[in-house]
Amino acid sequence: MKLWKILPAAFACGLLQVLLRFKDDADLARRLKAREPHAMSDLYDRYGRIAFSLIYRIVRNTAAAEDLVQETFLRVWNRAQSFDPQRGSLGPWVLTVARNRAIDYLRSIDGRMSAGSLDLDRLENPALFSDFEDSALSLDRTRRLKSAFEKLSPNQRMVIELAYFEGLSQPEMAQRMKQPLGTVKTWVRSALKALREELTGVAIA
Amino acid sequence: MNCEELNDLYELYALGVLDGEEKAEVDAHLARGCETCRKNLKEALAINTMLLSSAPAAVPSARLKRRVMASVGVERSGWGWAAALAAACMLVVALWLSIQERHRAGELADARRTLMQISAQRDRMLQALTFLNQPETQQVGFGRGQPIPPRGNVFVNPRSGVLLISSNLPPLDPGKIFEMWLIPKSGAPRPAGLFQPTAPGSAFHMLPGPVDVSTLGTVAVTIEPEAGSAGPTTTPIIAVPVGF
Repeated sequence: MKLWKILPAAFACGLLQVLLRFKDDADLARRLKAREPHAMSDLYDRYGRIAFSLIYRIVRNTAAAEDLVQETFLRVWNRAQSFDPQRGSLGPWVLTVARNRAIDYLRSIDGRMSAGSLDLDRLENPALFSDFEDSALSLDRTRRLKSAFEKLSPNQRMVIELAYFEGLSQPEMAQRMKQPLGTVKTWVRSALKALREELTGVAIA
Repeated sequence: MNCEELNDLYELYALGVLDGEEKAEVDAHLARGCETCRKNLKEALAINTMLLSSAPAAVPSARLKRRVMASVGVERSGWGWAAALAAACMLVVALWLSIQERHRAGELADARRTLMQISAQRDRMLQALTFLNQPETQQVGFGRGQPIPPRGNVFVNPRSGVLLISSNLPPLDPGKIFEMWLIPKSGAPRPAGLFQPTAPGSAFHMLPGPVDVSTLGTVAVTIEPEAGSAGPTTTPIIAVPVGF
């Protein structure tokens, strides 16, 4: 199923509640860092389902998705020491690790291993997920993002899906969609610009 | 490129799908500590998070949490109960197997005992047949013509011993046993072995070893206490004169 068909429904269902949870993660992150056993249980209760949903959306295989969820939480547990509980946002970090594990898996079965794996690893650095503004993941912004996404053209939605849920670079998207690279880049830039402008407009307002 | 030109690339950069010159540009800006780029990257991460959260809800299996907890070396609360339950089940199974094993061992011992009894009986039969087949063996019948007598034969062989074969024996009370006696022509009776019926009312008993037939007067059988007696304590039920 294509992203532009499922995304609006997803926005309407569990997404908003999930985003609201991100705000209350400092204590959980502190307990993870202290390696309290129950912290891992709480982390799974909070993010296990959404991590599985995201990974399953990418790999489309239950057994592989469960393996990758396990890998995700193990990685978070092992790297929690470098996470700053006061400044970091646990939810975005867990989701990024989950998405990257799944994309790495897709790339490995497609034979697309390359420097990409190292990039994904670098982009999971906990330090990147600190100092989000309080409003960064607010309900208003989520609604705006949904509205902006629905206004995108089919080609713009397609390139967003290929980047987020298949991990394709722009040349790979061009190859997949049998379109010139320049055209694909235009779709990507215009799609992301539209999403960002919608959010920025809210911030200004 | 300046920061403005990079503005549409941060989401792809954060997703790890930017490559070539564009990626190198973002890397260079961030390495320089460019504040605008840092801020734009944060915004891109927020947008990515919101879009990634949009995956349709799917439900993992219940055992996934156990796997996750086990992989980091932490057991869930409640897992202890499951382990205790499993241990209790295993204990019950082990107990049951032990009882079965003991039962089987008992059956096996019974079978072995029966086999040994049959084997011993067969040996005695073969011994008796050999005894009967020897030319020196002499036979004396008893009990013929009496109303309800024990009846049968006594066989005496000077080299091999004395064999008694009898039927119509009276039933034994509990704690009692038959005892055979060799009574010399002059002197006290000598114990010649204890025996029980091989079938109701029938018995055969053999005293192996050389016998001095010249002094032997009578072969007799009495009923004695189970442990046997040094001399007859009851009236003989069989008394066979064997004057050779």
